[in-house]
Amino acid sequence: MARAHRVATYACVFILIHLLILFAVLPIPFLEPDIVDQLLPVIPWWLLVSFGAYSLASLGLGLFTFQDCPDAYHDLLKEINDAKNDLREKGVTMD
Amino acid sequence: MNPFASVPSLNMQGQYNSPNTHKYSVILPTYNERKNLPIVVWLLANVFREHELAWEVIVVDDASPDGTQEVAMELAKVYGEDKIVLKPRPGKLGLGTAYIHGLDFCTGDFVIIMDADFSHHPKFIPQFIRLQQAYNLDIVTGTRYRSTPTPSLSGTRPGGVHGWDFKRKLVSRGANFLAATVLNPGVSDLTGSFRLYRLPVLRHIITLTQSRGYVFQMEMMVRARALGYTVGEVPITFVDRIFGESKLGADEVVGYLKGVWSLFTSV
Repeated sequence: MARAHRVATYACVFILIHLLILFAVLPIPFLEPDIVDQLLPVIPWWLLVSFGAYSLASLGLGLFTFQDCPDAYHDLLKEINDAKNDLREKGVTMD
Repeated sequence: MNPFASVPSLNMQGQYNSPNTHKYSVILPTYNERKNLPIVVWLLANVFREHELAWEVIVVDDASPDGTQEVAMELAKVYGEDKIVLKPRPGKLGLGTAYIHGLDFCTGDFVIIMDADFSHHPKFIPQFIRLQQAYNLDIVTGTRYRSTPTPSLSGTRPGGVHGWDFKRKLVSRGANFLAATVLNPGVSDLTGSFRLYRLPVLRHIITLTQSRGYVFQMEMMVRARALGYTVGEVPITFVDRIFGESKLGADEVVGYLKGVWSLFTSV
């Protein structure tokens, strides 16, 4: 089963449960009905906004912790130089 | 008597007085890498010699017009015909098939794939090997986004990039976030191509992959995870484009999105 099919299956199941509760087909045992009526319709929008906030936070954190490595660059240039000299001595035609 | 110094032990793959008797093959697909190939091979040879590892480099050249194959033959004279193996191909046939072609000639039991343009530095290979041996992993991949290895390992430095401006970093993080959310691959750097594979694992995955380009690297990792192979990550420093500029066009973005979607629906 591909990932898309798994995700679609889970999504259908949760949407079905959500709609059934919304249309009062399924009861919720421990909550007052009017509280359920206030909460339920906004759950999808809450999920969307939460996902948006999570994405932004994740991107922001990723950008903030993105390391630069100038040392690696300078070391690499030096090593390229060493390599060229060494290989020229060993008989490889360089540049 | 030291058992590692006995004749059969010394004639094993390891060829060194060390407990690591595995042989590591590096597959380098090249196209017009006449200037870079000798230096990459020099760096690889130094790293392997310093850490007393049996190694070989398989150069898969796609009929480069600039003399890459000649310089590969010269390197074979310097380092040994058994160490630098040149396996050319008649034309530019793509990265995936280059790996498949190279795999046919591997005599090692681990395969390392990397770029030949200095963006991947061979000095990280011993860290890959250490992580692989510590946890008996099937695949170890280099990551530019983390500062510590997973699973944990001591003696490593944080990863990073050099030569990327803010926009490039933003695009990179965004693309990675998208792929991570949609595919949940379990690795922090999905498009990276600096990896150590166990040979049978690579053979198995590569027969299943169907995409081309850099989506190919993503697909290999996603398929590996789906098949249950164990993956570890080591932070690497990525020095981008020592020579020349890279441009990220709309075509690439569309290609990437299509690649992620096709992986989502097929794996």
